[in-house]
Amino acid sequence: MRLRIPNRLEDVFLALDRAEGTLDRAEVDPACRADVRLVLEELLVNTVRHGYPDGRDGSIEITLRIEADAVHLELRDDAMAFDPLQHEPPHLPGDIARRDIGGLGLHLARSIASDFHYARDAHGNRVVIRFDPFDEPAT
Amino acid sequence: MTLIVRSESPTTDRSTVWLEGRLDAATFAAFDEAMHDITPLVDNGGTLVIDLSALEYISSAGLRSLAQLRKQMHDREGRTLLLNPQPQVKKVFEIVKAVPVAEVFANVAELDQYLDHMQRQMTAPEG
Repeated sequence: MRLRIPNRLEDVFLALDRAEGTLDRAEVDPACRADVRLVLEELLVNTVRHGYPDGRDGSIEITLRIEADAVHLELRDDAMAFDPLQHEPPHLPGDIARRDIGGLGLHLARSIASDFHYARDAHGNRVVIRFDPFDEPAT
Repeated sequence: MTLIVRSESPTTDRSTVWLEGRLDAATFAAFDEAMHDITPLVDNGGTLVIDLSALEYISSAGLRSLAQLRKQMHDREGRTLLLNPQPQVKKVFEIVKAVPVAEVFANVAELDQYLDHMQRQMTAPEG
């Protein structure tokens, strides 16, 4: 699946549904499907909310590639430079009611991805993520 | 599917809210709005039970709403207890250590037992 969307929240959610449909048709394990949706939501919502502080129109490209043993996700955007890996892990006191509620989304995205890379080039930000469907920790 | 919120407040010391669907950046505002009408029905010191049996997905936006709710109830000497989180929700709770494990219950029987225990502790004579 390759999709280019404008930097608007409603388009983010259309993209999430498209991605989930693609994973569903490829019979990707439901737990992995939910992981991909969560990482996509956290990163895309973050980009749309904070990536364009000047309010300009932007575009985000989402590429999803499904292989037998892994799902590969690539996100490219023309937002301001932002490396999700450079953020400090949040303080987690064991009760979300007792902490400042920022930073959880990126922490979730980083924790859930099996592999996470960031690069900035002439086109903008590029994030490459791998999910290993059968590598779910037993719960 | 998006989000369906249903509630029951048979007594003023306990309300139950059932969530169905997804609690995320697209639905949290509707959830906050629904809770705005429900939480005042619970007395100070009361219990709000959030039944998560049919909630299939939560993201950080949903966690933020739950955090605000817990804070509100806490400020009124009350508590928010969570019931039966499903695999995705459970996983997210675990990653961010969202809530004390003692306040998440697998079923209603466990939850009732906990509330009975709390009640007895509060009414037991001291010493």
